[in-house]
Amino acid sequence: MIEKLSFIIPELILFIATCMVMVTGQWPVRAIRQFTPWIAAVALVAAGMIATMTPSDPNALFPNMIPYAKFIIAFVGLILLVNLTGTVDRDLEDDVDKGKPFLPLRSTGAEFYAFFLFSLTGLMLTASADDLIWLFLALELTSLPTYIMVAISTHKNASREAAVKYFFLGALGAAIFLYGFALIYGAAGSTNLAQIAEHFAHNDLGTLGLAGILLSLMGLSFKIAAIPMHFYTPDVYQGAAAPVSAMLAFVPKAAGFLAIIAIVATVGWNEYGRLPTTVESLIWIMACITMFVGNTLALLQNSVKRMLAYSSIAHSGYMLVGVLAGPGHAGAPFYRNGIAAILFYLLCYGVMTIGVFAVLGAIEKKDREGNPEEADDIEDLRGLCKTHPVLGWTVVICALSMLGFPPLLGFVGKLGLFAAGVSAKQIPIVIVLGINSAIAAVYYLRLVAVAYLDKGDRPQQAVNLSPYMSRRLAGACSAIGVIALLVIAQPLVDAALTAAKFNGPSRIDHNQADHELESDEHASVFVSDPAHEE
Amino acid sequence: MINTTLLSSMLALAPDAHAGGAHAPATSEVASGPSWILLIVALPMVTTILCGIYAMIGNKSKLPAWTTVVGAGIAFLCTVAMYLSFDGTPYTVHAFDWIQVHFSSEGGDKSMIANFSFYIDTLTIYWMLFVTGLATLIALYASEYMSHDIGTSYCRFFGAFGLFVFSMACLVMGDNLLMLYLGWEGVGLCSYLLIGYFYKKPEAVAAAKKAFIVNRIGDLGLALGVYLTFVHFGSLEYAVLFNDPTLLGYVESAKVGDFSAIPAMAQWIPLLFMIGAFGKSAQFPLYVWLPDAMEGPTPVSALIHAATMVTAGVYLIARTYPMFLASEHALPIVAWIGTITALLAATIGMAQFDIKRIMAYSTVSQLGYMFAGLGVLTPTGGAYHVLTHAFFKALLFLCCGAVMHGFAGQLDLRKLSGLRQVKGWGIVSLGMFIGCINLAGVPFTAGYFSKDTILAEAFVTPGYAMIGWILLITAGLTAYYTFRVFFRVFMGPVEYHPGDELHDHDHDDHGEANHHDAGQHGDHHADHFHPHAPGWAINTVLVVLTVCSIFASGLYIVGGNKDAHTKHYADTMVSASTASYHSNYGSHAFEYYEKDPEHYPVPGIGPRGTIEQPLEMPLVGGDPHKMMYYISGVIGVIGIALAWFLHLFGRTNAAECKMDPIARMFGPIPKLAENKWYVDEIYWAILVTPLRIGSHILHWIDKLFVDGIVNVFGFLPRLLAWILRPSQSGVLQGYAVSMAGGIALLLLTVFVIILQGGAS
Repeated sequence: MIEKLSFIIPELILFIATCMVMVTGQWPVRAIRQFTPWIAAVALVAAGMIATMTPSDPNALFPNMIPYAKFIIAFVGLILLVNLTGTVDRDLEDDVDKGKPFLPLRSTGAEFYAFFLFSLTGLMLTASADDLIWLFLALELTSLPTYIMVAISTHKNASREAAVKYFFLGALGAAIFLYGFALIYGAAGSTNLAQIAEHFAHNDLGTLGLAGILLSLMGLSFKIAAIPMHFYTPDVYQGAAAPVSAMLAFVPKAAGFLAIIAIVATVGWNEYGRLPTTVESLIWIMACITMFVGNTLALLQNSVKRMLAYSSIAHSGYMLVGVLAGPGHAGAPFYRNGIAAILFYLLCYGVMTIGVFAVLGAIEKKDREGNPEEADDIEDLRGLCKTHPVLGWTVVICALSMLGFPPLLGFVGKLGLFAAGVSAKQIPIVIVLGINSAIAAVYYLRLVAVAYLDKGDRPQQAVNLSPYMSRRLAGACSAIGVIALLVIAQPLVDAALTAAKFNGPSRIDHNQADHELESDEHASVFVSDPAHEE
Repeated sequence: MINTTLLSSMLALAPDAHAGGAHAPATSEVASGPSWILLIVALPMVTTILCGIYAMIGNKSKLPAWTTVVGAGIAFLCTVAMYLSFDGTPYTVHAFDWIQVHFSSEGGDKSMIANFSFYIDTLTIYWMLFVTGLATLIALYASEYMSHDIGTSYCRFFGAFGLFVFSMACLVMGDNLLMLYLGWEGVGLCSYLLIGYFYKKPEAVAAAKKAFIVNRIGDLGLALGVYLTFVHFGSLEYAVLFNDPTLLGYVESAKVGDFSAIPAMAQWIPLLFMIGAFGKSAQFPLYVWLPDAMEGPTPVSALIHAATMVTAGVYLIARTYPMFLASEHALPIVAWIGTITALLAATIGMAQFDIKRIMAYSTVSQLGYMFAGLGVLTPTGGAYHVLTHAFFKALLFLCCGAVMHGFAGQLDLRKLSGLRQVKGWGIVSLGMFIGCINLAGVPFTAGYFSKDTILAEAFVTPGYAMIGWILLITAGLTAYYTFRVFFRVFMGPVEYHPGDELHDHDHDDHGEANHHDAGQHGDHHADHFHPHAPGWAINTVLVVLTVCSIFASGLYIVGGNKDAHTKHYADTMVSASTASYHSNYGSHAFEYYEKDPEHYPVPGIGPRGTIEQPLEMPLVGGDPHKMMYYISGVIGVIGIALAWFLHLFGRTNAAECKMDPIARMFGPIPKLAENKWYVDEIYWAILVTPLRIGSHILHWIDKLFVDGIVNVFGFLPRLLAWILRPSQSGVLQGYAVSMAGGIALLLLTVFVIILQGGAS
């Protein structure tokens, strides 16, 4: 096992930083407490840089996945960190300013940063997972801290309610994919992903294996907020503080997709680039319904956070198209590799969605009692380009990019998904993707119109800048990222392509030449041996 | 430009051999040139951006003008340097990769490459020399002319001016047809912006729209032509296209009059280009926008609508001359359309009273000459006429502009007289005189030589004698209407009435000038009106242009190259470019004929006769090239004499002359000509009105029917959302049940799919 250490140095760095953060965050001296986010930032930068130097693992299904995946995790994590800074500890420091004593036991500042780093550690571990147990533990390490972060992110009961919902439903999801993992182990006789792939390449999937794959995918749909486990998304995003919602939009989704790619890769794409019919059907249905549910429900929202939550659901549907398309044949270029398209799109999605959440966090309004509360209503963004140009333009750029407006980053990402879907001859789902992009335009353009077109001269309840300078910075970083990453899109796309190089065995479908026969065989396996179902 | 490559490689679902921008740009055999040449293109763009910045910071000085003059001036110097350093071999200069699309088709893998690069050969240099040179001069002129608009409008003017020079440079220098198209649209846009410069004036707005819309027709032709070129020849780059063995083969067979081997598609390309050229260069039937374009400020009329942009059509045809040679009907049509336009515009010009409009119709008419020149196989003559015309017509316009500037917008030749004797107007009068003798074709002027080249060529090219005669008559008419202006406005008794801009106080664009004039002069009567003589900038430019116009005739004498069998400067420049296919035959047809009549390499292209068909050679018993000097000289002098007799001899005031009773004798014809033969009204009746009715009908179909369908589709997502909404109840237990139910449902669906035997 010791040789595995060379692949998880970034995780180790983050872990060390986590330990340091837990100490410094509780330090009685204020200067040291305020130094806490910097430790996390330095750790992320170091982890991201070291990750790019990770050697390739010839035994893994995706030998070069680690450098790219961990780099974008660290990169987006850095923007998230900027966005999250101060969310919990600021009020605390204000109290200290007013003369209250600093009580380490009552403070949550340290935990907040520590949990953030723990979650990112889990995410990175997901990227390097080569074993079902590892994968499960990494996924849980990603998710568990986020439940608590949601709960402590604000003082409102809404946050606690959201956390409880998130936790229980998350447990449900985890139970389901764990069950799936167990069935896969039962079918393949190994927990090592490469060995499972080897097994499925030469043996039929079987009822047990099929059930395991299906349950795993549906359980993981909780992480990526796809149907059938998407229901929690709007409630949780709305209940959490905006920076934490931004984190929820990226971190679990990235973990979920890395896990889905790993699980689907064990079944593998055959020489025609197709998944087994059953798995393909499931993902097809999930992608299709997820897109429609996300986009249509987003149309009705007036709460920007809920809108973004549904948009997050819809984006998961988009990315599932990449899973359907698969990595293409060996040496396929970017526009034929659906996995590369997902990996690139994860980066795009992270950057652009954080931008809008950061703007929501950066403005505040007064509630009925005159206490500041986070802006959430779409009306709060009205005329933002005039009143607060940096924030307004961030909303405009990020919303247009999420819409896939050329030539912004989201366009390049979505183009990759479209092109991969077309090259894999998944034309119907690409048409669904196109229709949904059109529906999505309605609510993204609504965001743009509210922020940009309105003159900002209408009498309205005042929206002020919230005292978090860092969130404005995070928003600006995202907006700049949407444009700047476009300039270096070529190397990033190349890196995603390298990461998506599939090393698994090509699944042999005995009857692939004749589709009907193949399906019949599957059917006969399933029907003739119902005992396996038990 | 990484992304362009990335996107284009992604858009093109190409075979993997072309993956991810790994392919090198197709290499042509043409050498690449020094990169400072990019300055010629870049500097005008920089001045445009600077003017935009000046406008933003609210500059209130002449800074935009000086920026533009300096930018265009350096661009001109670079062009001169490019000319001097040119060693006779064409080369390209690469700025950046622009469009590179690779795709596979039935005939194998293809690439569409259109880089942002520039192709430098003698034709490019020839054109750019006068484009940048005139741009510099006219920017200097405009610095004074536009001075009453200092402020944002001043910045806007020079911003569009710089953008025009940039676009023109792209058009002329681009190394592929797509760059030409980019520049083509760019100059069209700038033309629109500058015609509509006085955007509060309804006529200017209407004229700008008219110019833009009429040009769209031509642009469609050009776009289709570019498309067909790519489809047929597989490349848009000049370096590849004009060395394409297919095209060269076509030209070879066309030279012996055999068009049967040339596919129809290849013959259609020049016809489509021709439509584009007719639009941009204001040829019949698309010429109607140019006279109206005179609503723009006069420097714009001089630069864009007389000297440079309108010659873009000539450039296009000269550049793609091999393709025109390979078409049976293209060049004859070009020749005839040019001739018809020349005659038609000249007749209209004779009856106008607005001197700027006379100049506009004269421009249309002279462009007709250039097209006729191209059509009768003398691109040399066409290009030489472009150059001489650029100088003398710019001069004429700028003189008219000076008059307009000084006399508060007065342009009616019935209200101005004897300006020669007014103090301060000597340079303008001299400039006008030099311009007029050039335009009229007085012997030994530049206009005389360039026009004669075209006329003589029309007579030596078999089958075109008729064109020669019509153009000869038109030359007489030209001399008449040109000197009608000169004798009425600059000679005779002194009399002038100011134009309406003097008392038009609420004219926003001239607010400051009005105030100034009104304060100084008090009222509007001619007795008290003091014309405001041009300042140093205008006078300098007029002097320079006068000198250029005089010395342009020298280019007919010097610059010949014995080795290349070229006679003079323009011939040398044009013959060494892609417009060179004629040079062995066309302009030396007679010499070749004299030497060896049996094997005379006839430009025998289709209807123009073949080797068997005898030439209609000698004109009035001599070599047409020599006879033409005498004939056209005499005709020019007759026209001038007629103008002198009718418009100057014995004239006592500005409004009346001997012509008036004679005009009445012709009945309604002068009135018809004054109203431009009602061409605009005819277009309105047969084109615009039916189009309007049709578009109203379509508008209602769209509104009632199409929108209805779209609205239904727009409603569907919302309907779906209302159905789905109850699922988001916010109750934890509900969510858990929904999730579990969802999983069960999905499993059931997969189960059904398996049972159905794989429906997906």
